[in-house]
Amino acid sequence: MKKLFALALVCALLASMAASTALAEGKPFDGVTITFWGGQAEYNDGTKAVIAAAEEALGLHVEVEINPGGSEGDNILKTRIASNDLPDFLCYNSGSKLYDLNPSRCFLDIKDWDLVSRVDDAFLSSVTIDGAVYGLPQSSTQAGAIIYYKPDYEELGLEVPHTWADFVDNCAKLKEAGKTPVYFCGGETWTTQVLFLGDYYNIQAAYPTFAEEYTEGKAKYADIPAATRSWTKYEDLVDYLNEDKSAATVADGNFAIGVGDATHWFILTQQLPMIVAEAEDQSQIGVFGVPGDNPENHGLTVWEPMSFYVNKDSQNIDAVKAFLDFYYSEDMLNLYFETYGANGPSCIKGYELPESVCDAVRVDMQQYFDEGKTTPALEYVSPIKGTACEQLTVAVGLGQMSGAEAAAAYDEDCKKSAVQLGYNWD
Amino acid sequence: MTKTKEKSLYSVWFVVPSLVIFLVFFLWPVISSLYYSMTVWNFETATFNGLENYKLFFTDPAMSTSVPHTLLYAFATSGLKVVLAFFIAIFLTSSIKSKDFIRSAVFFPNLVSTMAVGLTFAYMMHPTKGLLNVVIKGVTGSGVDFLGNPSTALWSIIATDVWKGLSISVVIYIAGIQSIDQSYYEAASIDGANWWQQITNVTLPLVAPAQNSIIILSLIGGLRTFDLIWAMTGGGPGFATDVLASVIYKQYAAGFYGLSTAGNVVMLVLISVIAFPLQHFLNKREEAIR
Repeated sequence: MKKLFALALVCALLASMAASTALAEGKPFDGVTITFWGGQAEYNDGTKAVIAAAEEALGLHVEVEINPGGSEGDNILKTRIASNDLPDFLCYNSGSKLYDLNPSRCFLDIKDWDLVSRVDDAFLSSVTIDGAVYGLPQSSTQAGAIIYYKPDYEELGLEVPHTWADFVDNCAKLKEAGKTPVYFCGGETWTTQVLFLGDYYNIQAAYPTFAEEYTEGKAKYADIPAATRSWTKYEDLVDYLNEDKSAATVADGNFAIGVGDATHWFILTQQLPMIVAEAEDQSQIGVFGVPGDNPENHGLTVWEPMSFYVNKDSQNIDAVKAFLDFYYSEDMLNLYFETYGANGPSCIKGYELPESVCDAVRVDMQQYFDEGKTTPALEYVSPIKGTACEQLTVAVGLGQMSGAEAAAAYDEDCKKSAVQLGYNWD
Repeated sequence: MTKTKEKSLYSVWFVVPSLVIFLVFFLWPVISSLYYSMTVWNFETATFNGLENYKLFFTDPAMSTSVPHTLLYAFATSGLKVVLAFFIAIFLTSSIKSKDFIRSAVFFPNLVSTMAVGLTFAYMMHPTKGLLNVVIKGVTGSGVDFLGNPSTALWSIIATDVWKGLSISVVIYIAGIQSIDQSYYEAASIDGANWWQQITNVTLPLVAPAQNSIIILSLIGGLRTFDLIWAMTGGGPGFATDVLASVIYKQYAAGFYGLSTAGNVVMLVLISVIAFPLQHFLNKREEAIR
């Protein structure tokens, strides 16, 4: 008993010493290590700079594990959730993919945190499930759009197209001039979906109740002409693609657009910082939304950023919260965007992106936001997404399947997802 | 009664540890997977839905095409390995110079990891930058999109698999051929048999036990193949190279655990239905020779 008492005394003494030294240095989390899991795109130079600053200011240490991405990454995360082996906090998609994780089981509901009030509602709705808020934006918004090489447009005197027909016209002119009009990355299949997913602005413009009816299993891609169009647009481009379309990678795409080896690329604007890094000057790179048929209504389909989620059972929730409070301070937001660049306008209320961010974001994309011509991508308004989407977009993009066939196959694929998510679609 | 007890050398308790391991880690998962394959399952709740998963598996072209692909892949790789490895083994057991070096060289591809082989070959088959296409373009003027064209993609992977997996078959054949008694060949040559006749009438029948192992091993390996296909095409373009294992993996990644389990049951049944009768048939063949 005596021994035990002495031991407790020593422990208390040590603890108070540790606490007092930490306080003396003003580093409340000295010696605390928090673990983080995220992809290469989230653990970028901007994040690294903020983490280094946080380690300096707060004294904590952030241990990083890299998510290999794609279905590999999903498998790892789902396995780790099932085996209660999550890091203290992690980065993952917001929207429909968050639903798949059954977040109430593993993530902390942070709706009481002050930070939440600084984030805009469009983002919050993508991480709110049954009234609980789970995520905070890792970066800025982004769009599924067309990134293009402006010097080619200037050289041939082309205008930014506001209808799909004009866009295909431009492609024909570019091809005549010996250029590669559209870049296609069949080597990394997810990229090929962007034309289809980014065309959602045009579907909802023509058919405003599409998302609801689609979730209920009533609206089908094969039946609604405006929706089938998203698939047949691939057919129009088959003759305008790069030669290595079946094997090109995202890194190839960044380079091709950056230096002007190809003119257009249907891709998420999260690639902008990397494309700009390849370009001679940031002003050579521009962005426009996937055009529809109405020249008066040319809009942008917007993706919310990846989110930080906190492990509900973490021992270090306080340290993670302190880190995130630090992450969203004005100085750190500036540090992040100045170091890495931005994918689109920020979703922190009242925050202005620094001057150093490229024109493609601050001018080209911002105008759609200012005119209110944006819509969230379908994955933020419906929990159902077919899992074979990228295989189908590759097949139709390479001309191995017709747009109509792909639309019908995708309807079946969505039905499979719906059944597995517990929807009754019969 | 007492007599039989005395006769049994080992107590049944000796079997219990391995039996328990077999029951807990093999038989029980198989049985429980039969149940889970008929549910919508998210690790916490499983809702029974009958044969819906199986129906989906065989009607959705994204999944059903994997069955013919798997069969084609398994039989083509196995067939090519059995035939090609036989002739390589004949060559390597004949009296040639630097036999040891050539034998090691033939075995070398098998030492490289499958992922590395897959990535290397995928790069060599790249439509514009790949070594193969640079050569083909130099000769014919236009390249071949080996992995991007659905009609060549699966065959390109089959060829890579044969290149990598041939050596194991060669080694088994060499062991089999070397164990054949020389006197058979002497007798055959005295009877006037030429080289080809000696191969077909002496070597081929007597190497049958080795050949049977090769057929079974390569066929089962082909039926459950995953890594090479995943490294080279990920099942694409579209679904042109999807096999059972890659489809199961994708369904698991999507969080469709019940459906993915159903895929595994289909694979188990398919392998059993092919492997057991084949084994039986090959054993018969072996006995007939004796």
